[in-house]
Amino acid sequence: MAARTRLPLLFPRNLFPFRSQKLVHTEVSVKEPAYPPIVPSLTAKSKSARRRQIEEWVKKICTSSVEDKLSLITRIQREKFVVYPQTFARNADRWYQHFTKTAYIPGLPEKFTPGLEKTKAAVPGIDDDAFADIRSLVTRVILQEHWQFRKRKPFMYRHQEQVVGPFLRSLVSGLTYSLAKYNPLLQLSSLDLSPQVNFYWRRGQRIIPKGHRKRRLEPTRFQIDDRPHSQIRVTQQLPQFMPLEASHAAEVPEITLRPNVMPLFRRQYDNNIFTGAKLPDPACYGHTQFHLVPDRYHRDRMVRQQQADQVEVFLRANALASLFAWTGAQAMYQGFWNYEDVTRPFVSQAVITDGHFFSFFCYQLNTVALSVETDANNPRKNLLWGTESLRLYESVQDGEVVGLNDGVVKLLVQFFMNQP
Amino acid sequence: MILPNGGPPLNRNIINTFFFYLYPLYQLGNPQLRIFRPSWFLTLVRPGKEQPQDTVQFRIPMEMTKYDVKNYLEKIYNVPVGVIRTRIQFGSNKKRNHLNQKVKQPDYKVAYVQLALGQTFTFPDIFPEKERAPAEGSMEEMQEKFMEDEKQRQKLDPRRGGVTEWFGL
Repeated sequence: MAARTRLPLLFPRNLFPFRSQKLVHTEVSVKEPAYPPIVPSLTAKSKSARRRQIEEWVKKICTSSVEDKLSLITRIQREKFVVYPQTFARNADRWYQHFTKTAYIPGLPEKFTPGLEKTKAAVPGIDDDAFADIRSLVTRVILQEHWQFRKRKPFMYRHQEQVVGPFLRSLVSGLTYSLAKYNPLLQLSSLDLSPQVNFYWRRGQRIIPKGHRKRRLEPTRFQIDDRPHSQIRVTQQLPQFMPLEASHAAEVPEITLRPNVMPLFRRQYDNNIFTGAKLPDPACYGHTQFHLVPDRYHRDRMVRQQQADQVEVFLRANALASLFAWTGAQAMYQGFWNYEDVTRPFVSQAVITDGHFFSFFCYQLNTVALSVETDANNPRKNLLWGTESLRLYESVQDGEVVGLNDGVVKLLVQFFMNQP
Repeated sequence: MILPNGGPPLNRNIINTFFFYLYPLYQLGNPQLRIFRPSWFLTLVRPGKEQPQDTVQFRIPMEMTKYDVKNYLEKIYNVPVGVIRTRIQFGSNKKRNHLNQKVKQPDYKVAYVQLALGQTFTFPDIFPEKERAPAEGSMEEMQEKFMEDEKQRQKLDPRRGGVTEWFGL
């Protein structure tokens, strides 16, 4: 009997007589095998795994919002060097230049130096009457604090805080309000009194000498916690003093010694990044900071301790650290950080005074990428311009201010009038 | 010796010889003939960890303070001193001797002195390597020559280019 064969229900296309016909008219579609990308593992105990972890962390930070960026960067607490802008250490300005990759240029940028007397007016944008008003305001403030106001004799070593502090505060607020009509930027500005400015960054590395993490590389972390006397924050950024590329030629001192020799001390606490106001504040860019020289670092005391040459060094170090922290925090608030370098320079100014002597400083932040990995091919440097101390007035006698220096008043006005 | 007003000093020779054995008593206005030297001695040491150019490291007696060190260096040696920092190094009490008693190494105070006026100081090399050439005709010279000849004999033919004898017949 015939074997029962099961016929297929559907007639297949490539049955024997028809098979070759199909192959003649159609093309062979080669399907590419799709493998997953070959990347190092994330959890293995190997160097490539560690590298991949860091890459993933960097990618995560790059794709997050600014608040998340700040919290992710400052999340992990570890021992760090606390950099004080007002320090007793000798030759602090060279050390701070190395920590912040800043080059110091003596003198102010061309904007503030009166190269040629083109206009009759002392300051562009201000005519002589207004300048005379400003001058009288300054004399009034000086007389009020030093002559008119009947104060008791200040406590020992508290002269700066009790006499010069209020003088500077009234001077700054008076100048801000009177120059607001000439500088529209100041009309939308915010004058902070004794604000907090914090910054946290990494620079350089060392081999851990002892402990369970011996022989491993560790980045050196720094933190600045600063309280300037007062500062002005504005809504628009100040224009740059020098193009970014021009900073490649500047020289930064290299110090191979460890920072603790300076002396600088390590502590572990919250890593803060703060400009003086929280993130949503519209006045997020900095204009000018004012610093007061405390009694401890007053030049008379330094001269008595035979450290007369350290007076200027102290002022430079103070300006450097404070302005670097402020501009760095401003850049972080805009989303730039170590692995995403700034695309435009951040500019701020500072005036440091002890009542009689005023020093003016300008800072341009060209790079925030200071850690070892990002600094390897980074030719950009930050720049600090600064003057020596200039006397504002000689003395106050019989209700008159003797020897008011017009140049210093002019510089002050120019600093306030700086606008884009 | 101040005697009351009256006659000539009594027994002056005895008094002079008596006072010869006592110290010359100082009264205000007398010439200062004696020198008082401090009983503190500073030791300049080579820093263990590298220090900046203007820092000098001393070992000082435990009783001295920063201001003592500053005055010491400025007044006695005319060294312009900027800033001084001190610390006390604890000498270890861990090692034990053959009787299993703890042996204490003495504690000492270290002062780091930063010089003023931009001066720098590097610790000099106290034990430099000397090129000792042996004296002519002596035993050492003959021995050195002999050792050199032996070494030369042990070396292979330079034409082989440093290849060992393993690669050969």
